[in-house]
Amino acid sequence: MSGIVRGTVGFNDLKLPGAWTRKIGKDLYEVFIGPQHPGSGHMRIIIRVDGDIIVEAEPDMGYVHRTMEKLSEVRTWIKSIPLFERMAIHDACNVTLPYVRAVEKLLGIEAPERAKYLRVLLCEINRIAAFLYGFGIFGVFLGHSTMYMWPFGDREVWVELAEWLTGARLTHTYPVFGGVRRDVPAGFTDALRKAIRYMRRRLEDYRKIFVDNPVIRSRLEGVGYIPRNLAIELGITGPNLRASGVKYDVRMNHPYEVYDQLDFEIPVFQEGDAYARVLQRVEEIKQSLRILEQVADWLDKHERSPILHDRFWKTAPPLYKKVFQEQGRAKLMAVYAILKVPKGKAYERGETARGEISYYVESDGKNTPYRVRIHSASARNALVYKYILPGHRVMDLPAIYGSIDYFPPEADR
Amino acid sequence: MPPRPVEKHVHPRGIFSRFKGNLEAIAIGVKYFFDPKRSTLIYPKEYIKLREGYRGFIVLVKNKCISCSSCARICPAAAMKMVKVPVTDPKTGKQRIKKFPVINYNRCIFCGYCVDVCPTEALYHVPYHDIVYESMEEAVTDLESFQKEPEYKTAKEGLPVRYIVDEVKGLVKIRVKKEGGEKK
Ligand code: SF4
Ligand code: SF4
Repeated sequence: MSGIVRGTVGFNDLKLPGAWTRKIGKDLYEVFIGPQHPGSGHMRIIIRVDGDIIVEAEPDMGYVHRTMEKLSEVRTWIKSIPLFERMAIHDACNVTLPYVRAVEKLLGIEAPERAKYLRVLLCEINRIAAFLYGFGIFGVFLGHSTMYMWPFGDREVWVELAEWLTGARLTHTYPVFGGVRRDVPAGFTDALRKAIRYMRRRLEDYRKIFVDNPVIRSRLEGVGYIPRNLAIELGITGPNLRASGVKYDVRMNHPYEVYDQLDFEIPVFQEGDAYARVLQRVEEIKQSLRILEQVADWLDKHERSPILHDRFWKTAPPLYKKVFQEQGRAKLMAVYAILKVPKGKAYERGETARGEISYYVESDGKNTPYRVRIHSASARNALVYKYILPGHRVMDLPAIYGSIDYFPPEADR
Repeated sequence: MPPRPVEKHVHPRGIFSRFKGNLEAIAIGVKYFFDPKRSTLIYPKEYIKLREGYRGFIVLVKNKCISCSSCARICPAAAMKMVKVPVTDPKTGKQRIKKFPVINYNRCIFCGYCVDVCPTEALYHVPYHDIVYESMEEAVTDLESFQKEPEYKTAKEGLPVRYIVDEVKGLVKIRVKKEGGEKK
């Protein structure tokens, strides 16, 4: 491919900006997938095709860039939590938790045990909901509209539970420095157990109509193969990495909250193709359900106890304690609004539904961060399109795109 | 036991499994054709009666407010602003300026920080959120309208329902009473 030339050959008007073209290889077509394509999200993949075969692919991201890192520098610490949540609103607890934990590290505090369990509770609810969301999108990419409707309907179960727990469907703003904002309401764990049993039943339905469906298998097997070493080289993360046979999960390798005390497995598939990635997510939903069961047991066994760190909770006036006992709402102290975080640097990571997210937080002792650097899972996964698309037919593109479960707003920040 | 990795493999498929797979997929499709799992909300004929604790629209109880400005300070969207109003001090009878919050619903993201940070519980959420404003100006409250619960038109016209989690059906829609508890 040569450099940029102006105008097509023989066209001499050099002033029109629309006349800028690029020379590409002989007999190649350049096709723009997105960013307006209803399926691709706010992202574009530029592919060059030879007949029906993709020869080159360039992922082009950044359409929903919202300058989150810069914005956080002019906001007080706690105001960035609802901001970062907007990276992946259906995975809100997972994407903000590492930020909260990084700031906690700088403050030198840790959430009380009950708050840790509650964080894990919402994280896993979010994870399942995010996987189901991904399945829905994937289903519609493959033209399997049943698989679009079912997971979206079932995701509603988890969204409903999250709403009951936090007071908002998606943007929960649940973890705050030193704990969480609400305790479980009465009757919540029973509903949670019902939802777990329901989901197990539904996974069997999904298996029959989608996962073991010969049509789906034919479309996915051997498609979009990511070899183990390529996955490591590109820094792919999350279920995509594990489906390529790498045993890495932040919950296992760098456990946070109470993950190291819970009994669950990290499934690792060896095949690395789109079908393995589907199975990987199904298995991970099963493990998340297992975690939720254990969390529900723990919550049933333990009485309501403070869910904010003592540093904050010891200043709580009687009214705060009354509200907490009656409504389970941990009111915030006025100091949260003007919190000054001691000088220092902290790095924290967490496992979101799409992979590892990491936050580098630097404070210079003021009430706003000096720098917050976010490295989100989707930003790392997006790169893979460049390497695995070439060689496939155009009709495989939706299958590969969907199997990566790429989420543009999270990548663009 | 801490988390541990477990290696898994995609099971290979043969002629028979293809046959079985097709059959199962059709069978499950037929099953749900005759026994569908519907949970559609016929809005606005029905509306969801949200639980207490839902972070909906916000109302100020003025006589509880101590004008501490915490709510305006913590608001991440700069939706809550303090306005100055002249009040008469009940003890001394003197005129002075006091500050009260007002809210701009064009900006509010319903994070609930302001309600949680208020030291005297002078703010509370109403458990509904489907309110339509006809203009941007309407969505900016003044001190008067911020003290009134916004009119919930949907509740006047529709029937209240609620979704509960069910083991077999997922979400099941049940009728509830307009006020208070659940009704099957
Ligand atoms: S709910 Fe959040 S955004 Fe809305 S006024 Fe309160 S603090 Fe501001
Ligand atoms: S936080 Fe509560 S008491 Fe303070 S100004 Fe706001 S409404 Fe009034």
